[in-house]
Amino acid sequence: MILIEADKLRFQYENPDEPPKTVLRDVDLTIERGEFVALLGHNGCGKSTLAKHFNALLLPTGGTLLVEEMNTADEELSIDIRRKVGLVLQNPDNQLVSTVVEEDVAFGPENLGIEPAEIRRRVDDALKMVDMYDYRTHAPHKLSGGQKQRIAIAGVLAMKPDCIVLDEPTAMLDPKGRREVLETVRRLNRENGMTVVMITHYMEEAAAADRVVVMNEGRVWMDGTPREIFSQVEALKDVELDVPQPTELCAELRALGWDLPADVLTAEECVDAIASYLEDRA
Amino acid sequence: MLNDITMGQYFPGNSLLHRLDPRVKLLVTFVYIIAVFIPQNWTGLAVAVAFLLLCVALSKLPVRLITKTFKPIIPLILLTSILNVFYLDSGNVWWDAGFFKLTDHGVYTAIFIAIRILCLIAGSSLLTYTTTPTALTDGLERLLNPLRALHVPVHELAMMMTIALRFIPTLIEETDKIMAAQKARGADMESGGMMQRIRAFLPVLIPLFVSSFRRAYDLATAMECRCYRGGEGRTRMNRLQMHGRDVATLLFTAVFVAALIVLNIVLPSTL
Amino acid sequence: MTVLETHNLTHVYAEGTPFEKTALDDVSLSIEKGELVGIIGHTGSGKSTFVQHLNGLLKPTSGKVLLDGEDIWKDPKQIRRVRFRVGMVFQYPEYQLFEETVYKDIAFGAKNMGLSDEEVDARVRRAAAFVGLKNELLDNSPFDLSGGEKRRAAIAGVMAMEPEVLILDEPTAGLDPKGRNNLLSQIENYRKENGTTILLVSHSMEDVARLADRVLVMHKGQLKMLAPTDEVFSRAEELEEMGLSVPAVTKVFMGLKNRGINVGQNAYTVESAVSALVARFGKGGGADA
Repeated sequence: MILIEADKLRFQYENPDEPPKTVLRDVDLTIERGEFVALLGHNGCGKSTLAKHFNALLLPTGGTLLVEEMNTADEELSIDIRRKVGLVLQNPDNQLVSTVVEEDVAFGPENLGIEPAEIRRRVDDALKMVDMYDYRTHAPHKLSGGQKQRIAIAGVLAMKPDCIVLDEPTAMLDPKGRREVLETVRRLNRENGMTVVMITHYMEEAAAADRVVVMNEGRVWMDGTPREIFSQVEALKDVELDVPQPTELCAELRALGWDLPADVLTAEECVDAIASYLEDRA
Repeated sequence: MLNDITMGQYFPGNSLLHRLDPRVKLLVTFVYIIAVFIPQNWTGLAVAVAFLLLCVALSKLPVRLITKTFKPIIPLILLTSILNVFYLDSGNVWWDAGFFKLTDHGVYTAIFIAIRILCLIAGSSLLTYTTTPTALTDGLERLLNPLRALHVPVHELAMMMTIALRFIPTLIEETDKIMAAQKARGADMESGGMMQRIRAFLPVLIPLFVSSFRRAYDLATAMECRCYRGGEGRTRMNRLQMHGRDVATLLFTAVFVAALIVLNIVLPSTL
Repeated sequence: MTVLETHNLTHVYAEGTPFEKTALDDVSLSIEKGELVGIIGHTGSGKSTFVQHLNGLLKPTSGKVLLDGEDIWKDPKQIRRVRFRVGMVFQYPEYQLFEETVYKDIAFGAKNMGLSDEEVDARVRRAAAFVGLKNELLDNSPFDLSGGEKRRAAIAGVMAMEPEVLILDEPTAGLDPKGRNNLLSQIENYRKENGTTILLVSHSMEDVARLADRVLVMHKGQLKMLAPTDEVFSRAEELEEMGLSVPAVTKVFMGLKNRGINVGQNAYTVESAVSALVARFGKGGGADA
């Protein structure tokens, strides 16, 4: 079932002092319910701008964007769209409103005018889902980056969205924080059926998704499973995007004549591939 | 380091004082601040101090925390005391040096004022120590709610306060970082005259300003993402409810104020 | 030749309060002139506290820091001079930009050194060139630059002081792969041309593997390892116990060894892995297996 559908989506910034800057050029993209999509691309390729269209923070200057068949261009629907599609931003410090964790998580449902008892339930559920329930009375500024980002995710979950969009949620985190956020997001997708769109620069994170969409110069440039995308090592390197190291290692060995599969993603797969190749050869 | 600020900080706990309704605490603090100026004799002053000590005991906070707040205002107390002792020359003269007379009136007034200031500081820090900033703003918002009829933007003010409280620690941390970074580039913030020092702070203030704007922009986006539309139609997860202890506290405070007034009438004034 | 040394360096935050915390615990080591040392350790391991001692931003609770054999705190009034000789680029340095133009911002440190205008100008242009900032950008406001350009301008501001030791704290944090690669190459070039000693604090094992001669591992305020890069990454299990990882290719090599496949040496970059495998097993086709 289609959750988000972009049809010839165009967007340009209008600035009176400068020529208009086109950021999105005819983007056609559909996100299915329950998918975990990683969105890749360089800074300035338009992926953040696209994410901001998903919850009607930005409105298309051409084409249409439908969220559960609601057109984002209809401003009367923006609140309904935003409660369906929650957006988590990059800097965990700048998106927490309150000085107490649980009150921050309650902020969204409070804005929606939900009954206090129901808010309580949602806040507790959301905090448990991101594994931060024990911290509910803590002050956010004393938490680690990964914990803060999970609170931000809980804040969105408390609105009971159908989809969460995360705009580089791990860019400012250390490896531990990155793992925490990635595991949380993956669990939400697997266990709660949450649709996830995650923008990232880390290829290992993209490799954990069901589907990878690569954007370049305002267009969808590649779209497929992580294996399909990362096996195209040359094409990705041409636009200076990375591939996971094991994938790159196999690609380089293939170029030297080693008969290895092109779609290796993890270190374990790489070990298996090289071991069985050497065995065959012997 | 800028991190050592204790004023206005909350210390978690579960004492009676912690559990009181923030509205009650705000009201009592407000009343207390006025009430310390009622006593005109030692007994009254002792009652006012006793009320405070009772509150400190009920808060179960270490006394050290309260006395720590006195430190920054010691110069102020010394100054007012000296001024009082010097300028008040009515009453019984204890010592006469010609240009300066030490009188009982002067000394008593100085002590009275010093104790009043200490009570004020201790009372209001007790409020912030036992009340989360959110509860505080919440209480304030609800106490002031009737003013909305007069078009006072009560919700917006409360929201601003919450956000300010949320971001103060973040900005303090950031100031520390920027200062370190500029020092690493040889910025000299410790020497030179007044003007030079102010100028030396520009490399800290400008980035701080820029970053505050960036944060504000991000925060506005995040609030929009979470369907914020102002105070209209908003509900709250935690409803404030008055309990027996709250009513009892209000009654007790009323008795306390009445007692101070009665003491003023029946006992002679010390001042 | 040794450029920096620490002797029993210890730092205790908030000493004598309930919040007391030993951030650095008896760290003694020496850094050789011209080498590039990667510093790894998870958040809170003490690595930031450590590097801030090397240019006198923090004062040791006990122990010493020696620069060219001299205690940097011998004359506390001269500590600014130490900061010019040991340059420090903080994490997200773009947040420290403040001048009206990029040029002035890069010149800030060099000017504070009291150099002549000509010398400052020469240094600003050299530094800008090293980080790949075009001349025409120098007259712009730093706040009009793109994110990656801001980062590079801020780094140039420290390079323009031409320090003997350059410390970079997470220089690639938050950059996209292209920005990351470019910046790492620029750091490599800068080092090659100036022979500057570089300390690189990083969470990215791949970045450290690519650049570092030696790797310094911090854990709970203590120095756990300081050894050549391949030696450190060959101790993967110890690293993992400290919550650190090794580059993915190193994991591949460890996996192969566990399967009883003799891969000869260790590898920690894709390049070194390819050459090691080819050296051992030859090119494709099974000719010389």
